[in-house]
Amino acid sequence: MDDSDEALMARVARGDQPAFRALARRHLPAMVGLARRVLGNTADAEDVAQEAMLRVWTHAPRWQPVAAFKTWLTRIVVNLCLDRKRRAAWVDLEEAGDLVDRTPDAVERMETNERERQLQSAIEKLPDRQRAAIVLTYSEGMSNAQVADILDTSVSAVETLLIRGKQNLRRALGGLIDEEG
Amino acid sequence: MNNEELQIFLDSHGTDPSVWPESQRAAVEKFIASSAEARALFEGARRFDALLTRTASRAGADEAAAARVLARLSDLPAQKRPFWHWPLVLLDWQFAPAWPRMAALACCAAVGFGVGIAGLDRTLERYESLQTVTTQTDIASIFEPEALTGARP
Repeated sequence: MDDSDEALMARVARGDQPAFRALARRHLPAMVGLARRVLGNTADAEDVAQEAMLRVWTHAPRWQPVAAFKTWLTRIVVNLCLDRKRRAAWVDLEEAGDLVDRTPDAVERMETNERERQLQSAIEKLPDRQRAAIVLTYSEGMSNAQVADILDTSVSAVETLLIRGKQNLRRALGGLIDEEG
Repeated sequence: MNNEELQIFLDSHGTDPSVWPESQRAAVEKFIASSAEARALFEGARRFDALLTRTASRAGADEAAAARVLARLSDLPAQKRPFWHWPLVLLDWQFAPAWPRMAALACCAAVGFGVGIAGLDRTLERYESLQTVTTQTDIASIFEPEALTGARP
């Protein structure tokens, strides 16, 4: 039996719950990871991943395979993350750092070197779309065109987001980058 | 190209020459090779990209979190069907095994319709008698005397 994403989606569109669970099992780990990198918070990331998969289920009958399923799902997750960040009350940047440290990977984070910790903290403080562009490029390994597709914008806009994002990170980290060997 | 333009290029396209735009790759590589300052800039950008990749990828996939989310997806809501769903279901006929008979039926219907429209199903005598009766009735009504005066038109 064809178990490609598109074949499973065709079955999900007919209300096939086992096909939906197979699709969820395949993509949820990566989507939770992506949401956590964009949001900096595991609990919110799980909520976003759940919401994204519910949208996959409810909208499956209307889904048209014009783009790869993973691209469509990634777009849903990133948009939900950006919506959530927009809706969230303003949180002091110092408090935001503390929130991240309560996640299950806090111990692991404490064990990493200072440079990576500071860079992670600086990424989390970036404006939402700059952070999304950086995460999709460097964590998901996407091209500028793929990032533009996910963020529903132009390639030149993505290039601008990357340029400004990196400039902000350099400013935040100062000379720490130059120490990277 | 100058150093500032090189920095902007490296920030927007990264430090992997294989993904650089074809139209700019040769010029950028030539500029980097031509200047020690440009080479230092490229090396700095390469180190920054490596640090970004390592840091951004560290919080990778989380199987335990995914399992928790999957468990919360046990009760699924109703799916949203497009408004053309039911018409499509009703129109989803499978004629494949019977298509020659369906075609024959359609031909018969078309021929019958054509014969009916053209009047080929009537005999010539019937057509003529109908015409005669109609003509006589029309003439009689035209020359009928007035009921009160008895005058003829």
